[in-house]
Amino acid sequence: MMGLLSYLVFFSTVASILAIAVLGLNLQWGNAGLFNGGVAAFFGAGAYGALILGGTPQEVHLGGFGLPFGVALIGGMFAAGALAWIFGRLTLRLRHDYLAIATFGVAVTFENVMRNAQWLSGGAQGIRGFARPLQAELGAGLSYNALYLAMVAALLILTYLFLQHLSRSPFGRLIRAIREDEEAAQSLGKSPAKVRLTAFVTGSVIMGLAGGLYGGFYAFVSPQDVLPILTFQIWAMLIVGGAGNNRGAIAGAFLIWGAWTASGWALSKFAPVEAQLYAGSIQYILIGSVIVGMLLWRPQGLFPERLLVSHSGQNNRTYKPAGE
Amino acid sequence: MKKTRHMLRMGVALGLGLGSFGTMAAAQDCTIAVGAVLPTSVDWGRPIAETAQWVVEQVNGAGGVNDCQVNLILRDSQVDPKVGVDAAKALVDLDGIQVLLGAVSSGVSMPILTSVTAPAGVMQMSCCSSSNAFTALAADGKDNDLWFRTFATTTVQAAMGAKVARDQGYKKVAILYKNDDWGQDMGKSVAAFLEALGIEVTANIAINDAQPSYRAEAAQAIASQPEALYLALYPTEGTAAVREWLSLGGSENMIMANALKSEEFRENVGMQYLGSALGTDTASPREDSATAFVDAYGAKFGTAPTGPGLANSYDATMIALMAMEAAGKDAKGPQIAAAVARVTDPAGTPVSADAAGFLAAKAVFAAGGSVMYQGATGNVQFDANGDVSAPAVVWKFGDAGIDEVEFLSLTEVDAFVAALK
Repeated sequence: MMGLLSYLVFFSTVASILAIAVLGLNLQWGNAGLFNGGVAAFFGAGAYGALILGGTPQEVHLGGFGLPFGVALIGGMFAAGALAWIFGRLTLRLRHDYLAIATFGVAVTFENVMRNAQWLSGGAQGIRGFARPLQAELGAGLSYNALYLAMVAALLILTYLFLQHLSRSPFGRLIRAIREDEEAAQSLGKSPAKVRLTAFVTGSVIMGLAGGLYGGFYAFVSPQDVLPILTFQIWAMLIVGGAGNNRGAIAGAFLIWGAWTASGWALSKFAPVEAQLYAGSIQYILIGSVIVGMLLWRPQGLFPERLLVSHSGQNNRTYKPAGE
Repeated sequence: MKKTRHMLRMGVALGLGLGSFGTMAAAQDCTIAVGAVLPTSVDWGRPIAETAQWVVEQVNGAGGVNDCQVNLILRDSQVDPKVGVDAAKALVDLDGIQVLLGAVSSGVSMPILTSVTAPAGVMQMSCCSSSNAFTALAADGKDNDLWFRTFATTTVQAAMGAKVARDQGYKKVAILYKNDDWGQDMGKSVAAFLEALGIEVTANIAINDAQPSYRAEAAQAIASQPEALYLALYPTEGTAAVREWLSLGGSENMIMANALKSEEFRENVGMQYLGSALGTDTASPREDSATAFVDAYGAKFGTAPTGPGLANSYDATMIALMAMEAAGKDAKGPQIAAAVARVTDPAGTPVSADAAGFLAAKAVFAAGGSVMYQGATGNVQFDANGDVSAPAVVWKFGDAGIDEVEFLSLTEVDAFVAALK
C-alpha cells in the first residue's frame, strides 16, 4: 500500500510538472496561436538555469552558486524568459509553420549548445551536484516526495489561476482577437507584435518554471532531457487535452503521461517473457495510436476551447466552434 | 496488500515454474523480483536485455537465488530520462525490488540514481554507463554506496591510447572525439594522458553525429600538423571523418578506440590505408572465463556476442544475483550492495560465469566464505566508487580480421594508469 502511494506521489509530481509546461504552451498556442516547436529549449533553460544557480560548486562547469531553491527557480524562469525574448524578437514575425520551424531550430540549437559548452553546462555529462531542497532536513523518503508534490501542485494551481484570470482579462481577449484576425485588431489601434511577444515570453517563463521544478526533482539535467521528444510529448498532451482550455491542458498532461507510463507497466506485468523484449516498441505503437485516434475522432481535444463570443446583458452565451 | 501481491506473484511464478522447470519447481515456493530498466526499443539495447534474461534463466535453472525463483521485470527506458526514471520508481515502489539493473545511457542512469535508487536504498548495477560523472558522484558519497557498473571507465582506454602513441614514438597527436558523454570523456582523458607522457596534443576536435561532411574538422586537425591522429569515434562518423582526413593528406598513423573495432570500418575506409593504424580495447581479457562466455553465448543465441555491452550485461546481472545470494534471504539494497565485495573478492574461491559457477558460489556463501567471480569481462573488481578496471589489448586490422598486437593484464594496466596519475 505504501509502495503504491509512494509511486502515485512520484507519478503525480512528474505529471504536474509536465502540466505546468502544457499550460505554458496553451497560452502560446491555444490562446495566442503561436506554434512553438521549441518547448524543450525553454523547459531546458529553466532546468539548467535553476541547477546552475542552485547547485554546489563543481570543477568542470559553471555554477555552484548554492542559492536557495526559490531564488534558483526564479533564475531559471528568468533564463527561459530571456531566451524567449531574444528569439521572440527575431522570429515572431513569422507565421504558422515558419514559426514552428524557427522555434524547432531554437530547441536544436539549445540542445547542441548545452551538449558542447562544457564550461557552462557540463557538456553531454550534464549538470549534477544539486542538493535537492530541504532533503538534508527531511530525508529522502516518501514524506520528502509528498512535500515536493505539494509544492509542485501549489505552483500548478497558481499557474492555472493566473492563466484563467489572464484569459478572461482584456489582455486575454486581445490575444485571441489577434489570433483570429490580426489586421482587425491592428485597425483598432492594438500592436500585434508587442502582444504576441508578451504572450510568447509569458508562456516560455511558465515552461521555464516547469523545467526548474523538473531539474530540482531529479537533481540532475543533461542534454538527453531536452531532446525533441519532450516537445512532442508536451504537444501531444495539449492536443489530447484540448488546445485553448486550461483545464484540458492539465487533464491532457495527466492522461498522456499516465498512458505513457501505464502502458509500459502493464506490458512488463502481463506480456509473456519473450514478448517483453518488444514491449518498448509495442508501447510506441500504442501511444501513437492514441494520438492518431484522438486527432481523427476528437480533433478539438477532450475539453474544447469555450469561446465567449459576446456579452448581451444577462445572457452569457457560449458556443463551441465547429473546429478549424 | 503487500502480502496479497506477494501471493499473486508467487502463484504466477509457480505456474511458470511448473511449466518450464518441471520437478524443480516443486521444491520452490517463492519468487524474488529483480528490476531492469534497459532501452529495449533500441536495436542495440535489446540484446543487452536478452543477455540479462539469459543469466536469470541460468540461475533459475540452478535453483534460483536463496531457493527462490528470480522474476526479472524488464522495463523499457526509451532512452528518455523521464520514462526510465518512472519505470525505475514503479519497480521500486510497486514491485518492491531491491536490485535494479540499468540503465544504459548515463543520462538515464544518473537521474535514476539520484532520484530513485539512492534515496530508496536500492542497489543499482549498470552494464553500460560510461560517464565519469558517476565516479565524481560516488566520490562525493552521494550514491550511498549503492552504485556499481561493469563497464570499464574511459580511463583504461584513454591510458592505452596514450601508451600506443608513446610506444610508436609520436610526438604530436591530434584527437577527434564523438560528441557525446563517452566521447567527451575520452577526448579529455586521452589529452591528459598524452600530456602526462610529454606528447603534444595539437588539436582536440568534437565530431557531431550525422553531419554530411567532416571536412572542416579534418582540415582543422591537419592544420595543427600532428604526426598521428587519435580517434574516439563510432564506425559511421569514424569512416566519414577518416576519409576526409586521408583525402586531405593526413597521416596514416592512427590510434583507434575500441568503438572502431569493426569490419564495417575496415571495409569502408580500405585496408590499404589502415596498415599503420593501431587500436585499443578492454573487452577481451585472456582468461578462460571470457572465452567460455563467447562460446556459451554462441550456443545460446547462434551469433557471436559482438554488440556493445553484452559481456558487461552478463556480468552485471550475474554479480547482482550472486550478491543477493550472499546477502541472504530478504536482504535490503544496502546489504546486497555490501555483499558485492564477497562476490568479487580477489582472495576468494574462483567461480565461473555460468549456472555451475552460481551453484559453487552458493555453497561457498552458505559456508560463510567469499568468491572471486571470473566473469565474461574477466576477474571483475570494483573500486570504492563502484568502477571496474579491465585488462587491455592493442590490436590492428589484418587481412583476415583483427590481429592482436599486445596484451596487458589487469595488473599491468592498473600499474600503468597509476604511474601516469
